[in-house]
Amino acid sequence: MTTPTHLASPGAAGVLGTAGLQAAAVAAGLAVSASASLPETDYDAEVPPLAGFIDSPFSPLIAEVAGRAVSRRDQCCPRDQTAPHGVVIAIVLVTARGDVASAAQVAARVDTGRRVPPLHFFQSVPNAVAGYLAARWQLTGPIVCVSGVTAAMDAAALLIEDADADEALIISVDLGLTGGAGHRAAAVVVTGPTGRGADRHGPEGAA
Amino acid sequence: MTEGTRAAYRGPGSVVITGAGAASAYGRGTDALLSGVLSGKPAFAPVERFGTTNRRVHVAAAMPGSPDLLTEVARAAREACDDAALPAAGRARSPLFLAIHGDPALARAVDADQPGLGPDAFTAAVADRSGLAEQGLRCYMSACVSASTAIADAAASIARGRADRVVVAGGYLVEPDQFALFDAGRALAADGLVRPFSAGRRGLLLGDGVGAVVVESQESARARQAPVLARLTGWGRTGDAFHPVQPHPEGHGLARAVTAALQRAGLAGADLGYINAHGSGSPHSDPAEASALRLALGEAAGIVPVSSTKSLHGQALEASGVLELIVTMLVARKGMLPVNAGFLGPDEECRLTLVLGDALASTPEYAMSLNAAFGGANTALVVGLP
Repeated sequence: MTTPTHLASPGAAGVLGTAGLQAAAVAAGLAVSASASLPETDYDAEVPPLAGFIDSPFSPLIAEVAGRAVSRRDQCCPRDQTAPHGVVIAIVLVTARGDVASAAQVAARVDTGRRVPPLHFFQSVPNAVAGYLAARWQLTGPIVCVSGVTAAMDAAALLIEDADADEALIISVDLGLTGGAGHRAAAVVVTGPTGRGADRHGPEGAA
Repeated sequence: MTEGTRAAYRGPGSVVITGAGAASAYGRGTDALLSGVLSGKPAFAPVERFGTTNRRVHVAAAMPGSPDLLTEVARAAREACDDAALPAAGRARSPLFLAIHGDPALARAVDADQPGLGPDAFTAAVADRSGLAEQGLRCYMSACVSASTAIADAAASIARGRADRVVVAGGYLVEPDQFALFDAGRALAADGLVRPFSAGRRGLLLGDGVGAVVVESQESARARQAPVLARLTGWGRTGDAFHPVQPHPEGHGLARAVTAALQRAGLAGADLGYINAHGSGSPHSDPAEASALRLALGEAAGIVPVSSTKSLHGQALEASGVLELIVTMLVARKGMLPVNAGFLGPDEECRLTLVLGDALASTPEYAMSLNAAFGGANTALVVGLP
């Protein structure tokens, strides 16, 4: 059942950290306004469980690292979500393998004829934890999950340019293999180069 | 315009779809898909691909046998490229955006094999078997909006001149793990039919769905004198920010997606001649979608014909967006709108102008395809006849 998530050592090699995300953001013409990673310090040995998500560290990692990044972004530049057009933040998840821990548990249960816990249905796609983040932090933009950082940055840049979002929360997460370097996650909040999209057009045929 | 809506922009380029390929329980190829959905006969049958003895529900819409996902997606991508009259050199310059749940081999792989597996490796294998570019590959894993998001991203990128052409594909073949998960979540319709927007609806049913489209700039298509199946004029993507897995009950996020897509297309709601709804047949999702359409379209929501073709070919999960956009294009071109099957009677919370009884003879100049997913993710795509 739910257990604390054990993380890699700070600075360990492996999944892309904030430096990698920041470099990819800059390459895509985006500016980084806040960032977070797990683990950040030796105090980050474990990540707390996330209610409603079981048997896998995938969603708790995302919730924790994204929460840190968004709260830092909000400390720096508070949002007034009561305004008619409050700041719209998209969520872009990046994962090379997805929640392989949950998938393996489901497969093992199916192969041995055991019952699958209903909660696994809800966490079977990364959108579920993205929906948690969206509701928790009032992130009202689109939700996207892709496998690569370059694709994530390109998608975020277009969302901002086309005014589907003002900013994007980009979260990179992957679970370590058994006996490997452990789990790692990183997140950045990005804006367009001018804070909002430039060179806008529309609608179809009007250009 | 819906509450809280703001302007949606797009690049200046026009975007077209020049080819399509598909596979579903109705068979392989877009001809089989079109004739299947216009038959009005749901493709659901007892599952024979794997055992369902421990499940509550035993029905899905599946092709015979145990088709292989990689083989089927690559075949559909080649069909789409053939349909687009795209020569080998053009395919080799076209990146692939692929929508899948993940690498199907990963869940049962031993640790030693895992580094070589994953969505990127699977996407590269599809591209290789389809003769598509080795670079610029993307894999989308955003649940039931994966393929529609990929199509929107391709269109947005082409409209801004960042790409000339993208092949977007998606695939889901009914398999025991997702079947067990949806069964455990009591999401499957125990009465063996999908009844979108109907009184007495019991839930969704899974279905094989593989689709591919060649999305291209109008200039590129014109330069190579390619056939144009449809213009991809509008797209919208939004989030509800409401709940991890439940839609906003009044469909606020989906309404914003519809409005953004119409804005990009330069259309009013009444300009739509058909909507292929998300219409999962789930008790809570259908009223939210009907509310979204009423919010976004206003009085036009009472005029525009609506059906959910999930009632015919089933829920293809990550591939839904491309399969259903292909259906939407094909029926618009044919001038026959598919029936909203399984309908038992009206539900006051789902008031829409549904296509009931038989397919409706009508040639919409513009049509919309909607998708929604866990996380409150919503997409809307608008296609116009060439």
